[in-house]
Amino acid sequence: MSEPPLPRRTEVLRSHVRDAAAQLRDPGMEIDRDPTAIDRWLHLPAADLMRLSTIPVEYLDAPLRIDGHTYDMRSCLEHTVTIEELSYGDAGFMLACPGPLMSGVAVDALGDDKQRHAYYERLSRPEATWTFFGLTEPAKGSAATELETALTPDGDGFRLSGAKRYVGNAAFARLGVVFCRRAPGPLGIEAVLVDTRDPGFRAELIPTVGMRGARISAITLDGVRIEREQVLGYDTLRPSRRGLVGAIRTLQRFRPVLAGTALGLTRAVLDHVRRERPALTGTARGRLEDLRDRLEATRRQNYDIASAIDAGKVRSDRIAGVKTRAAELAERATLAAADLLGPASLLEDPWLGKLYRDARAFEFMEGTGHIQRLAVFQGVAKHTFLA
Amino acid sequence: MTTTDTTLPAPVIGWLEAFAGELDDCHEQAAPGGTVSSPAGWTIASAQRLPAGTPVPGTSGTLAAVRDAPPAGDPAARVFSDALVRLHWRLLRDVLDGAVSRLDGRTSEGAPLLGRQLVRGTVADVALALSETRDLLDLPRPTAGRRRRIHRDLVAAGRTALVLYGASSFAAEGPGRLLYAAELLGNTYLHTGEPEEGAGRE
Repeated sequence: MSEPPLPRRTEVLRSHVRDAAAQLRDPGMEIDRDPTAIDRWLHLPAADLMRLSTIPVEYLDAPLRIDGHTYDMRSCLEHTVTIEELSYGDAGFMLACPGPLMSGVAVDALGDDKQRHAYYERLSRPEATWTFFGLTEPAKGSAATELETALTPDGDGFRLSGAKRYVGNAAFARLGVVFCRRAPGPLGIEAVLVDTRDPGFRAELIPTVGMRGARISAITLDGVRIEREQVLGYDTLRPSRRGLVGAIRTLQRFRPVLAGTALGLTRAVLDHVRRERPALTGTARGRLEDLRDRLEATRRQNYDIASAIDAGKVRSDRIAGVKTRAAELAERATLAAADLLGPASLLEDPWLGKLYRDARAFEFMEGTGHIQRLAVFQGVAKHTFLA
Repeated sequence: MTTTDTTLPAPVIGWLEAFAGELDDCHEQAAPGGTVSSPAGWTIASAQRLPAGTPVPGTSGTLAAVRDAPPAGDPAARVFSDALVRLHWRLLRDVLDGAVSRLDGRTSEGAPLLGRQLVRGTVADVALALSETRDLLDLPRPTAGRRRRIHRDLVAAGRTALVLYGASSFAAEGPGRLLYAAELLGNTYLHTGEPEEGAGRE
């Protein structure tokens, strides 16, 4: 399979990250057994890449420099390529790492200078800091316009009450972004920065079938005190430009990255089949080639979309389309691998067994397939999706 | 904090134990008092029935596996495989019924989610697969190839059904863990050794 073309500096980055990702399989298996095992692997270069990804260069004492290029992964394309390569090593390991991930995108989208400075100053310290992005709720899923977590006035600040579910890393995080409702209607939604040490915050791990490195958690918010300066953009943005706008921008910026995660896993499982069964012939070989073609086509599409986002062209229908394709391809590739590798392969091949369980996570992460299909439909109706 | 399977809530362990009991019934039908091993020499049963087995990943210690047992003779293997596919079918039926019940109780923009056309279409797709596979199961002269194709269809329909549960399908307390166990059992017992032309949703 040929590599999709990238700008020179991005190719240099890809090569660097690929080397770092080569060490992640054994730690990934360990984290699958015990998600706290990431603590024993924070010395790996891959963990450092994740810890610093998307933190602006000016906050870093030693930003990533390779062959004269400096990287902070604030480019959607460079972030996507980095995440894809690390996910080729192990997606669970990547997701278990400390760093800004989605919460940083939300702070960028909504925070004022002071909020951004405080957030990045905290994240750039040498110690590991996990963060979370709290949008999904038990009763409403990730339907941002219907969320029920309440932000109620309390003196010169607020109290935050409600529940969030299926939030990565929340049980281990020091801070995170919580989307909540200050008033009825879509303009009544806010995003607040929460310190998990504050009274009233509680989070616990939700045991999952796979992708245990994501450390999917449930959050309970019981009257957590929120100062005005913790409400993102409170002093600088109109209500119509806060809360919901940040959720949408974050999800759109992050979906190519999530697609990269699925595509990294897909490439890993297809390479695994090729290594284990180098002499496949006939129909079996054709199936593998078909999946590899689809992988390459989806990677190219994902890079195009990430580049367009970097250029300020956000096409939500195409973002939804590539996320859906990548998620479905990961499932198809792991199902095919279990078949191609023969009877009892899920029992005899623990790495395959792990990827097989992990791949199902992509369907619902960053919006379910049904939600993405609605966005694709909107694109068809507006004649933009296939244009 | 860890996510070892011992942290699972009690009801989940209960569902898995019930599934393990039904798997043991499959063994009992084929080999009374014993177990049936797969063509590759694996045996999977409840931890009680296989006390010397190693825990099967993802089943919270309720299922165990042993290797190097001699493959089962033909009549026992046939009876067991038939029972196993029918167990998978019943499980998927329960998962679909659970999804319909759950979606009927959840609302979006003031209306039950079950009213959404996309959701109804997904429910119907799973029901159609259940209907077809039931008819296939009832055909005379079952073969290993047919059982494997039915299993493939049930896996595909199961993945579709899990979409109806959203992220909760991925939680250990959701139906994803049970369907994963059924998928793993099919991969172990029903794979005929030759790759198929299609697998899952390919």
